[in-house]
Amino acid sequence: MKRKDTRDDGERGGMGLDRREFLAAAGAAFVVGFWVPPKAAAANIPGAVWYEDPTVPEINAWLVIAPDDTVTIRIAQTEIGQGVWTSNAMMVAEELQCDWSKVVSQYASANRDAREMAPEWTLNVPGNGGTDPKGGGTPEFGNRARTGGFGIPDSVYRRMRTNAASSVKDGRYYLQLAGAEARERLLLAAANDWHVPVGELSAKDSVISHTKSGRKTTYGKIAHLAARTPHPNPEAIAIKSPDQWTLMGTEQKNRDLPAKVRGETVYGIDVRMPGMKWAAVKSCPVYGGDVKSYDFDAVRNRPGIRSHVRFPIPDPKLTRGRVFSGGVAVVADSWYQAKQALDAMPIEWSIPPERAAFNTANMHAALIAALDKPGNVRVNEGDVDGVFARSKRIVEATYSTPYLPRARMEPGNATVLVTNDRVDIWIGDQSPQETRFSASQITGIPEQNVYLHMCHLGGGFGRNGNGPQAEQAIMIANANRGTPIHLLWTREEDFIGTTYRAMGVARLRAALDDDGWPVALEVRTGMQKDGFGPDASFDIASRYFVPNYRFSNHTTDFHVPVGTRRGVGQAAHEFYRESFMDELAHAAGKDPYRYRRELLSRTKLPFKNDMIKALDMAAEMSGWGTPLPKGTVRAIALEERGAETGGSATISAMVHTVSVSREGKVKLERVDVAHDKGFGLVNPLSVKKQIEGQITWFYNDAMHQACTIANGAIVENNFHRFPLSRIDEDPPEINVRFFETGHWLIGMGHDRGTSVQSAIGDALFQITGKRFRDLPYAKHDLTWA
Amino acid sequence: MALDLKVNGTAHSVDVDPTTPLLWVIRDHVGLTGTKFSCGIAQCGACTVHVDGQPVRSCSFPVSAAVGKSITTIEGLSRDGSHPLQLAWLELDAPQCGYCQSGMIMSALALLTRNPKPTDADIDTAVTNACRCSSYHRVRKAIHRAAELMRTQKASA
Repeated sequence: MKRKDTRDDGERGGMGLDRREFLAAAGAAFVVGFWVPPKAAAANIPGAVWYEDPTVPEINAWLVIAPDDTVTIRIAQTEIGQGVWTSNAMMVAEELQCDWSKVVSQYASANRDAREMAPEWTLNVPGNGGTDPKGGGTPEFGNRARTGGFGIPDSVYRRMRTNAASSVKDGRYYLQLAGAEARERLLLAAANDWHVPVGELSAKDSVISHTKSGRKTTYGKIAHLAARTPHPNPEAIAIKSPDQWTLMGTEQKNRDLPAKVRGETVYGIDVRMPGMKWAAVKSCPVYGGDVKSYDFDAVRNRPGIRSHVRFPIPDPKLTRGRVFSGGVAVVADSWYQAKQALDAMPIEWSIPPERAAFNTANMHAALIAALDKPGNVRVNEGDVDGVFARSKRIVEATYSTPYLPRARMEPGNATVLVTNDRVDIWIGDQSPQETRFSASQITGIPEQNVYLHMCHLGGGFGRNGNGPQAEQAIMIANANRGTPIHLLWTREEDFIGTTYRAMGVARLRAALDDDGWPVALEVRTGMQKDGFGPDASFDIASRYFVPNYRFSNHTTDFHVPVGTRRGVGQAAHEFYRESFMDELAHAAGKDPYRYRRELLSRTKLPFKNDMIKALDMAAEMSGWGTPLPKGTVRAIALEERGAETGGSATISAMVHTVSVSREGKVKLERVDVAHDKGFGLVNPLSVKKQIEGQITWFYNDAMHQACTIANGAIVENNFHRFPLSRIDEDPPEINVRFFETGHWLIGMGHDRGTSVQSAIGDALFQITGKRFRDLPYAKHDLTWA
Repeated sequence: MALDLKVNGTAHSVDVDPTTPLLWVIRDHVGLTGTKFSCGIAQCGACTVHVDGQPVRSCSFPVSAAVGKSITTIEGLSRDGSHPLQLAWLELDAPQCGYCQSGMIMSALALLTRNPKPTDADIDTAVTNACRCSSYHRVRKAIHRAAELMRTQKASA
């Protein structure tokens, strides 16, 4: 690969132009509230963690060691509460063999990533395959380039995206390699300095020792030499295997929490700049709609009001093909002034009638109708139709899941400053490379001159959940060049700007033999045509063995922008699959745990033993089969991703102990979790936290959440209509146990806890005798006598 | 119109429309950004602060109602993160994204101030803040732990 290192000026925390350059740039621009971007403007906000140029030479693109031994590790993924700030730093620090207490994390520069290619030694991936004994496996960088097309970026930080629970999995090779390369160069620099063979040196906790002579030095003292000492053969550096880990695999608390409990963390919403103006926006509530007219004169004279900007539907090529809406922004001295003015400003929308005709009832009917039309047949094994024709016993069930938004706690926002040759963006963003591309496309300024100052995000739950927050802010700032514009969505606007998990339906049909075992299974799933994960959990092979199996998906064209919400297609599909397994077990008069276990043991799936192990462990942990009080039952389900591939996979099983009062009050009393740890978890503490969080996330989905559509618009657009589970719905007891499997993990940040959905459904059936097949359950009569 | 406020013990004079929600005055005029905006309709509690020791959802509380009263935000809890709630939160590694945690901690403070030994049911009733990461499991443990630390502190004082 041809290397290109044009990193001559880098980012200077909000400063790229000096005063003279800025004045020249500003002279040609329309400037509201003249402002010179001082170097310290945003860089000095305490708690800010965006990239800043180091004061000493770096060792490599991932780390800098200061004379006092502080190691600054650059993180290319975004901290959204999943702990990447800590886990990814652990991977570098493990190999670096530095003092972990002196590690500081900082965001990697997305601007540098536009200017510099990945070093060749980071492309040298050791090992191959999911069961690599070196702890390897082929990293999956995801399959999208920054433009949304296919391809893996080969820029310096590779995949800066934070999605698909992949930050640890995808980052590990090059992060461990980065730490190892730096360690080797530090050793080499010390060896050269002392004129001893490098093989006689050892490194631990940032101290380099030469046992023979008793000499010692620290990383901080030798770093300036290491920065000038290239490694003669970096491609030969190998990463540690799990049995050599000392830091990885230990429970480490999140490094960024002290700031969070003091209220000091700088989220995007907290960015303040001298001369900054605030933008409140309203976009057409029906996707694909636009502004017809508005009357800014009605609010122009209110205090603090500065200007208005009409913005078009963001170019779908900048929003991963999704069509959002056009809208209007009011710009004011404070956000509340802007928002109040916007609320008072008459706006008329131009809404395409075919889009306004959508409502939940006709969309759901269209999905159900699609199930009866020919679909995309993904698997067709054996003689499904023949077996059904001969079978005396057929079980059929149709399930439905609603549109679901992410509804992260921090509403969409971004602060953008556009000058004539540079764009600065302060934002919490799960795909900075794509935002960099958007900025370039909207302003005409090259990506090399786009600077993203990354902030922690107040919740993520899916990359596309960022919606067009950045694109709208860039458009507004582009119309106000020279003035930093802080766009902030209201909660209602956030519900318009997010993407949704597609509404879905599934019809499952099984023929049972005389003993109650399935001999044929037909699965038809239906969702919006651009919905994500249409094949999850059903593709390639049935998880539970049936000799005759057909799976097809059936799509329909709707206007709601859908995306990768936490769990993606997996969450809905595991609800369908596991609910149906419960229904079959009950129809067969068999224990749902043993029924599943038997069907798993009949498969030839590569990870069947791991799936059985998960079920057995969860059942054992829960005291499966032991008596419970009346109105309290247990339900079990399998959660897996990738079990059919033989490559990467994550496998877990959960037993949910659920009570339902006669008045219909559901309580998740206890959850027992058996979870795959592959050949080792990087930070088991953050995995536990992810599991705990997702249990209540999916409880919330199962019990309460739904977005419906009326006249083409989302109805539930704030938390009074879109209920969020609170602490009283969190299960009092969660037990997590890990088991070793030896394969490479896919990740656990988004599709664990899906089993809550089917488990509550089955608990309701066991207790009330009623089977509910459409979510959320709270809309049904859950009482029993 | 100039309004006189006392935030975390410091006097501020702010020139705002008196109907402006306290949240925006704290964030944009006083300049303390630890208190968060999320729903704007007093549903989620991310904006919880104390006014004369009572927890209020500041996104829906007009600044005029806080004049002459003592306002406490997350920044007023302790200067160095040494408040028992903050220590307990760190011990349990409670926050995930952290966005709701300022409000969560302020609600927990209100509870522990009037009830030094809350039961789980007391917590369920008093701490009704929303957390999308669902950090609740550790938050509950952290509240119990903070209660313990506060009782110890009181006993040794």
